[in-house]
Amino acid sequence: MSNTAPGAWQNVPHQLRGPHQHTGADDHIYSPRLHNGTFKSKGIATFLNAPYCPPDRNAIREMGAKVCFIGVPWDQGQIVRTGTSQGAGGIREASTQYFPYMFEYDVDLLTYYNMVDCGDVPIVPGNNEKSHEYIYDYLTECLHGGAKVVLCGGDHSVPIPGARALSDFHKNGSIGYLHVDCHLDAAPDWAGNAFTNCSGPSRALDLPNCNAKNMVHMGSRNGLNPKDWFDFFVDNDVRLIPMQEVVSRGVVECTEEIFTRAWDGTDGIYFSWDTDSIDSSCMPGTTAPECFGFKGREVIQLARTAGKFGADIMEVSELCPQFDVSHISIKTAVLMICHFLGSRAKTLRDQGLKP
Amino acid sequence: MNPAKSYAHLFSPLGGEGGENYRAPGQLTFLRAPHVPLETEALKAHGARYAFVGVPFDEGNVGKPGSEDGPREFRIASQEYLSYWFEFGVDLDGMAVDCGDVPMPKVNPDSARERIYRAVTTVLQAGMTPIVLGGDRSISIQIARALSDYIGADKKMGCLHFGAHLDLADSWAGEKFLSTCAMARITELPNLASENVAMIGARNSMNPKDYIDLAKERNLRFYPMFEVFDRGIDAVMQEATEKVWGGTDAQYLSFNFNVMDASAAPGVTATEPGGLESREMIRVADIIGLRKSVSVIDVTELAPVYDISGTTSRLAVCAVLRIMAAMARARGELVDPNLRRSDLAPAQA
Repeated sequence: MSNTAPGAWQNVPHQLRGPHQHTGADDHIYSPRLHNGTFKSKGIATFLNAPYCPPDRNAIREMGAKVCFIGVPWDQGQIVRTGTSQGAGGIREASTQYFPYMFEYDVDLLTYYNMVDCGDVPIVPGNNEKSHEYIYDYLTECLHGGAKVVLCGGDHSVPIPGARALSDFHKNGSIGYLHVDCHLDAAPDWAGNAFTNCSGPSRALDLPNCNAKNMVHMGSRNGLNPKDWFDFFVDNDVRLIPMQEVVSRGVVECTEEIFTRAWDGTDGIYFSWDTDSIDSSCMPGTTAPECFGFKGREVIQLARTAGKFGADIMEVSELCPQFDVSHISIKTAVLMICHFLGSRAKTLRDQGLKP
Repeated sequence: MNPAKSYAHLFSPLGGEGGENYRAPGQLTFLRAPHVPLETEALKAHGARYAFVGVPFDEGNVGKPGSEDGPREFRIASQEYLSYWFEFGVDLDGMAVDCGDVPMPKVNPDSARERIYRAVTTVLQAGMTPIVLGGDRSISIQIARALSDYIGADKKMGCLHFGAHLDLADSWAGEKFLSTCAMARITELPNLASENVAMIGARNSMNPKDYIDLAKERNLRFYPMFEVFDRGIDAVMQEATEKVWGGTDAQYLSFNFNVMDASAAPGVTATEPGGLESREMIRVADIIGLRKSVSVIDVTELAPVYDISGTTSRLAVCAVLRIMAAMARARGELVDPNLRRSDLAPAQA
């Protein structure tokens, strides 16, 4: 499979493997036609079997990719149980149980976005600072390559370099920042370290072009939210929608509100979605599972509503496959991404726009 | 109170020698029902309404394996329930027999499919409703075919399908009888009209485009989960059951248990987020029960290896028993409300 041919997405699996190739265009959105191993047989493990593309702005532009998937196998920026470095691998694995075609939106995600997988960021064990720099670099290349990014953590320190990359990309404008999470993550620092998974919103507000009015937190609950985290939202006048409010108002209305706020006068937004925002019954495979979160269908409604607004970078973090005995969490994580992208595609198409 | 009949099983154990521990069955059968061989005459002689048949078959699946252990776990989970259902005021004892599992030859799917067909036919010929426990979803093709042949060409059947996937592949890698082809084959049956088919629960992207295209081509009504979110399960079920039971002579009820939300049913071969919650499945069972009878029930794709806490099998059992109970109530087969434990004859104590 060529990385550079313009038609690379026309010939992606499940067909193009081994001696029994089928080279018909768009075969990948239909049930397999040939007896060649099919569906379960994997080639290179990429997200949704998308072609691999090096994380290089010229290569990305040459392939015409409008969405890049990036994995971040990093779990040394966080304070709870480890295991999220396997998150991106889990998502890639679970994604092979799905087709890129989504009937709910009548769209083929691969060809619509010319989606590519840029592989994993080469993190440096034991070095949060350097790993964050590499994350920043990968994201910068994708954004300058003209693509939106699906960033798969890794722990929730990932939005710190992530939002910084977006901020610099829009350095002459402003950005919005959305943090959907069970935890407020607004520590000024944690035992002196300002760049852990406890400080995403705090560091985002430090950015020169990210205003408090364009920041929102949604989904917070329960007792792993120390007072300084809560004080951050009060003192800086940042909108906070706790889970209790989501339950009473409904997930669709709340999601519309947060995206409307984030896009108000901004040039791009960073959408950070921690898997622990989801109820522990639907998301056991996360680093800090919490009850009273989003239920399965609310996750999908959230992703679908988010897709109506879009984001420059969508990040899914804290996924922890080793606790996901029945494989329900990794599939949910895939659907967070797929429904977001599918709904985005439908919205753009309905408006006569291109990705 | 009929003095010739035993009522002790309706109540908490009274103590004494035999049978007071409901979780210690002599023979592991569906709801402690008697085992009856899979022969039409033997079944007729017993005169029960339902016959439970296990089909440990896993050679028609295209995804994660594990469903061949489904019947065994289903039987085990059924030990956790009693035959009396207070919400309905009915007693399921004596309503079912267990025919055991259909012996499956390994690595010979053609032969396996014929055996499934024959097993279902045998039960139908005895005038009973088969409750078939898979096994992967491909077994539904044979089950539906058996019902279709049994009622004959001049009768009409309906089909109510629950599942996250529409299973409408005309072929899959050249194969025609895999689980992904189930509804494609079933909707080809001559006495199943498209207006009598309803499919509930489709969601997410294990539904390739040819599924949707075939649904349109055959004019099949499916109710995706987004529609269930918007309209509610009651409204969808009222409409769907009217399609399936309206003007038909026989009804086929097919649960691919991945219709349930992944959190409610982690123990299935293809867990899917965004599905039915357990309380919705209970409404489903209640609404189906209002129809009083059904010709065949199947439950497929349970994968006990992923069902760490046993919750999925238990929910599946609960759904089936609630359908049986709701139907018994709708037929007016109620336990005497005045019956009390203190009324039991000493011999029953």
